[in-house]
Amino acid sequence: MRRALTWIAAFGLVAALAAGLVVATSPRRPATAQTGQAVTVQRAHAGSATPTVKRRIVLLTIGSDSGAPKFGRGGTMERGRADALQLVVLDTVKRRGAVLSFPRDSYVPIPGHGTNKINAAMAFGGPPLLVATFERLTGLSIDYYAVTSFDGLTDIVNKVGGVQVDVDMNLRDHFAGAFLDKGRRKLNGRQALAYARARKTLPGGDFDRSRHQGQVLLGGLGTFQGQVAKDPTQVMAWLAVLRDEVKTDLPFPELLRLALLATRVPPASIRNVPVPGTAGSAGGASVVRLTPGAYALFARVRAGKLG
Amino acid sequence: MTAGVLAALLLASACTSGGKPRSSGQATGSTAGPATPAAPLEVKLVATAKVPPGGPSAKRAAKQAAPGLERFVDRYLSAAFVDAAGGEAGWDGLLGLFDTPVRASARKQLNALSLGAAAPKVSAVRPSRASARAVVLYGGQRAEAATVRVAFDATADTAQGSGQVHLRSVLQLLATGDGWRIAGFDSRTGPPQ
Repeated sequence: MRRALTWIAAFGLVAALAAGLVVATSPRRPATAQTGQAVTVQRAHAGSATPTVKRRIVLLTIGSDSGAPKFGRGGTMERGRADALQLVVLDTVKRRGAVLSFPRDSYVPIPGHGTNKINAAMAFGGPPLLVATFERLTGLSIDYYAVTSFDGLTDIVNKVGGVQVDVDMNLRDHFAGAFLDKGRRKLNGRQALAYARARKTLPGGDFDRSRHQGQVLLGGLGTFQGQVAKDPTQVMAWLAVLRDEVKTDLPFPELLRLALLATRVPPASIRNVPVPGTAGSAGGASVVRLTPGAYALFARVRAGKLG
Repeated sequence: MTAGVLAALLLASACTSGGKPRSSGQATGSTAGPATPAAPLEVKLVATAKVPPGGPSAKRAAKQAAPGLERFVDRYLSAAFVDAAGGEAGWDGLLGLFDTPVRASARKQLNALSLGAAAPKVSAVRPSRASARAVVLYGGQRAEAATVRVAFDATADTAQGSGQVHLRSVLQLLATGDGWRIAGFDSRTGPPQ
């Protein structure tokens, strides 16, 4: 009995000590003001900002036909042929831009390699030679490149939960596996890749395909913005996906700044412009010869006329 | 009895762990009257991490990044509210926490990020809640960026009386060689809504 009382007393002491400690370390209740009055100290304010970066950013996005084991494509993606080629030009001040979609068969001069299909430049000399080819062709200085593969594109789209794309025609393309109806669709990875690859059954062939590639890119931007608007931590989720699936020469701080800037550029203010050309042949191969309209387009973009 | 003492010590240590209490200094030279003693600023931060293949485990990465982020949020809230009371500290300390490409925007929007124009009339800020949730992005073995949601509630004392101040903010952070910098933000302050 005496032992039990000792334990009860000890327990009581511990409880009292604990209670005292909790009281002592709890955040103070808002104290009554010296005057006892509740006042409005600060009115409501809201603000937001994304980084200011260089006025014009030119980014070459490349879809490689290599380095995709899931599709049976060996090699490395930086030494494959560049089958999707978009030049993204962004006016960071006016928050508008253009996606110039190039037919992969564009027959152009490649520095040190004569004239060839533009998609061969990366196979000859990796992304740096492809960048040099574009700079010579367009007269634009390219800030960065980003390259991915079939695996990369499908993984990106699947990891972010699909992308919303405005499919602009009914597609029944067995070659690319594209079976889509016209309209706004949420595409999974395989569907997005198929939409970006379909060519043989399309009336405009390579031109339709390059336009679709630009649509997938802009669909990704719209999806990114929608997700970040609901949950700002999605910026990190998308950067994690890009880190795993894309090779780029963008330093990480610039990538983050661009991603934050991209949350504020309405996709509708970015035009998807297929680069004009005509179908032709060279050495028995079918090619696309860029027309004077293409060079006029490059001149307008150089002059900052993106609209 | 030994068990009781041990329990008391454990309880004591449990109650005082977590954020690092930081004294919120009294403002001087303000127009407000004498303030009540200030409560410490104690930031409670919960972190999760996104890690690359071959990197550390997400749990380990989050645990590794949390203390630095907690210190950063503490510095932010101190500069924006606690030490800003009185208006004499200026805003250079706060603006130094922003990445250069966003600093000018932050300077123009101090009211949405801090006590702002109300600072000179406030004699003291007494925090009642300072919590943060972070998602940290790892590249290789180190943190590269993070999104942090910050919630801060406090009582501010003025000559006319006391009132509540609040901050709800999303900070997009970039890891630099010497700590974190704010690369983008979405923030609001003011009375409770």
